[in-house]
Formats: sequence, structure tokens, C-alpha cells
Amino acid sequence: MTPSALIEEADLHALVDGELDPERRRKVEDHLLQHPEDAALVEGWRRQNAALRAAFEPVALETPPLSLREAAARPPAPPVGQGPIETGAIHWGRPGAAPRPPRKLDEIRASRRRQALASTLLTLVAGAAAAVAALLFLASRPPAPSPTLTMAATSYAARAGLTYATYILDARPVEIDAGRRGELLARLQERVGFSRAPDLSGVGLRLLGGRVTPGVAAPAAFLIYQRDDGARVGLYFERAEAVAAPSGQRGQVSVIEWRAGGFAFVLVGALPPSAMQAAAEAAAAAVVASPTEAK
Amino acid sequence: MGRRADIIAGLGGATPALRRYARALCAGAGQAIADDLVQSALQSVGARIRSRELRPADLAEARIETYAALVGLAEKKLANAPGPASRHPPIVHGLAGLGFDERAVLLLVSLEGFGYDAAARIVGATRETALARLMRARAALGVEGLRPVALLEGARRAASHLRVVK
Repeated sequence: MTPSALIEEADLHALVDGELDPERRRKVEDHLLQHPEDAALVEGWRRQNAALRAAFEPVALETPPLSLREAAARPPAPPVGQGPIETGAIHWGRPGAAPRPPRKLDEIRASRRRQALASTLLTLVAGAAAAVAALLFLASRPPAPSPTLTMAATSYAARAGLTYATYILDARPVEIDAGRRGELLARLQERVGFSRAPDLSGVGLRLLGGRVTPGVAAPAAFLIYQRDDGARVGLYFERAEAVAAPSGQRGQVSVIEWRAGGFAFVLVGALPPSAMQAAAEAAAAAVVASPTEAK
Repeated sequence: MGRRADIIAGLGGATPALRRYARALCAGAGQAIADDLVQSALQSVGARIRSRELRPADLAEARIETYAALVGLAEKKLANAPGPASRHPPIVHGLAGLGFDERAVLLLVSLEGFGYDAAARIVGATRETALARLMRARAALGVEGLRPVALLEGARRAASHLRVVK
């Protein structure tokens, strides 16, 4: 436990925790080569980290219980013994039922006023819209733009599934094949705004190529990977502006969605779930890697 | 408006990692306590974001607030919680032997992968204090009975935010 004057114990911890810049990191690693007792400390802490992950990582892979799904989107239950008193009236003789502090009441009133104002405005706008629609209809003019535009907005997963179904068995599945990788990436950068084709060879998936395809709200990219046995997997990504709820797809196609760097990524394919999970993990790790690693 | 809703919805994706942290922080004191903590933390942060008491700039900040809420709740709740049982691995017994503050920081950095600044913010301490707690925790935890670093180091880290849609 006697790190040299230049390298302090804090540096050894920072090395384990990835908190050092590259230059300092190199110095600390050099220090470890000459000081086996410090190297043993570092190795011990890494063992601790690994043991912690081995003990608790399975928890993160479980499906959370029903009570925790969307817990953040639910208001907390009122504390026991205090009824939902919203009027501010003093309830005589009820232990624990203290009147709300005036500040709180003001907030509630202000929020109610805001709500009332908002609903009034909404009603006016809706009324105006209904009147305009009725006028257009009565004048038997061509109908106003129908609301199908908003209805058509669908989830990234559904769009990815559709893209998959469209191109995966196409005679020309990709627009630009992997042989012209530079051209492919340049085109994706220009049209989609994100140009990294994750290397999934670690899980046996070889990049076949890719194309620009219509997304939910913007041009999207669809990369196709192929396994040696011919099975294909598609990786879809689009700039994630609007959040759309994910939905399932037909057939035996697995769909895994994640977000990174402001993009929605969806991996689509008919491989077994474990293979899909592995491919998604590899892709997720690859797309968050620093841009300099892009191949 | 939409951004707040996005952040609240996004916190749902942090639930598996929060459960992992809560379970480790409870150090064998029981799954029910850990899940209660996660639920209370998520609900309280969700409510505070909705009421604009909390205005996180992005999901990462909201996540930090949720961990902070969880740590705050856990300290009270774990004051007289039962210790680990004999079936738990040595590392869990080691964790239970640490003080709450040391355990909280150690797990934020080692298990959850937070940087020192984020970890300090979560436990409401300065960076130096958090680092000192981390050092104490590692020294106290020791390496007795721990196996050499396994192969899978880090490879599973990406898994927690992936979601199988179908």
C-alpha cells in the first residue's frame, strides 16, 4: 500500500474505475509494472467488481415485477391515515388530518386555474375546428385534410418490422453493399445523420449492406447482416424525435428496440431469441463506442 | 411537456438497473425491501418531475435523481433490516459488513458504472468524500474467497437498456 510519490492510491482506484485520461492511465499502468504490490491491489479491486456483478447482474436481467412497471408514471399512493383532502377544510377531530399549508393550497389553486384555462382554450379550438369542418362539408368542398397523417405515425419497431418484411428476401435487399462501405456510410450520414455500421462478426453476423428507407418521421437506415447459414437480420435506425409506443410484429420475427445517442435502434430478425439478444447487445455496444472506432 | 413525459417514460428503462442496485444495497436484507425502495424512488421522482419541482435536462440527470432518491430512502429503511443469510455468497456478507455510506458509493461505481462526479452527486457528498468512502469500502471488503476476474467482464453491461419488443 505504498504507491510512489507520483502515483497515489486514488490513481489506482481511478484506473480501475476508468476515470483516468489516456496519458495518466499509461503512467499508472507503467507504475503497476514496477510495483507488484500495487498491481495486486488493483487486481483485488477488479475481483471485487467482478464478484459484485456476478452476484447482482442477474437481478437486472429479470423482468421487473408488475408493481415496478411504469412506477414513475404513476402518482404515489396517498400516505396511510391521511385521506385525500383537497379542499383545505379543517377536519376537526381527525388525528393526522392537518389542514394543508397555505402555500400548497395556492399551488393547487394555481394549477387548477391553469387546467381550467387550458380546457377552455381547448374547447374553443375544438369548437372552431368543428365549425370549419362543418362549413367545408356544407359547402360540399373537397374535405379538409383528413387526420390520417397523424394516424399513420407508428412505432419504430412496427416500421422496422415492415422494412424487414419488405427487403429481407428481396432480390436486391441492399442499396449499397458492404463492399462499398465508405459510400454506404457517407450516404447514411447525409440522409439519416448517423453513419456507423456495427461490426457484428463477433456473433457470426456479416454486414451485407444497407439502404435508406422511409422512417416514421424521417429517413431511416436499414442495414442487413447475414449469418453463414444464410439467416438475415436487419438493423434499423432513425433519429428519435417522436416517441412512439413499441408494438409487436407478425410471424416469428423478434424485434429488439433500444435508444442511444438520440437515435432509436431496432434489430429485427427471425433468429432464436438468444441469438437476437446477443446480436442486439453487440450492436448496442458498438454504436455507443467512440466514433473513431467506426470501421 | 412532451419532453417531461419522455423522461418519465424513459425512467422505466432504468428499472432493471435500479433493482440491481437496490438489491445490492440491501445486502441480503430481502427482495421485497429492495423492490419497495425502487418503486418509492421512481414514484417520487416521477411525481416531482410532473410537478416541475425537478427539471432534469435529460434522462441521465433524471436517472441520477432517481438513484439519489433511492439512496435517501434506503438509509432510513435499512437502519434495522435483517442481515444476509448463510446461503448468500461471501461478497454479500462483505457488503453487509460495510457502513451504509461506503456501500452506497462502492456499488454506484463498481456495480452501476457511475463516474466519481455522478456518484458523489447521488450520495450528496463532495467528490473527495465519495472517493474516500470508495477507498474505505474496498479496503474493508477485502478479496478473501473471490475468484479471479471472469471473462464476461463488461460484455453484459449493454444488456440492461435493451428491450425485447417481441
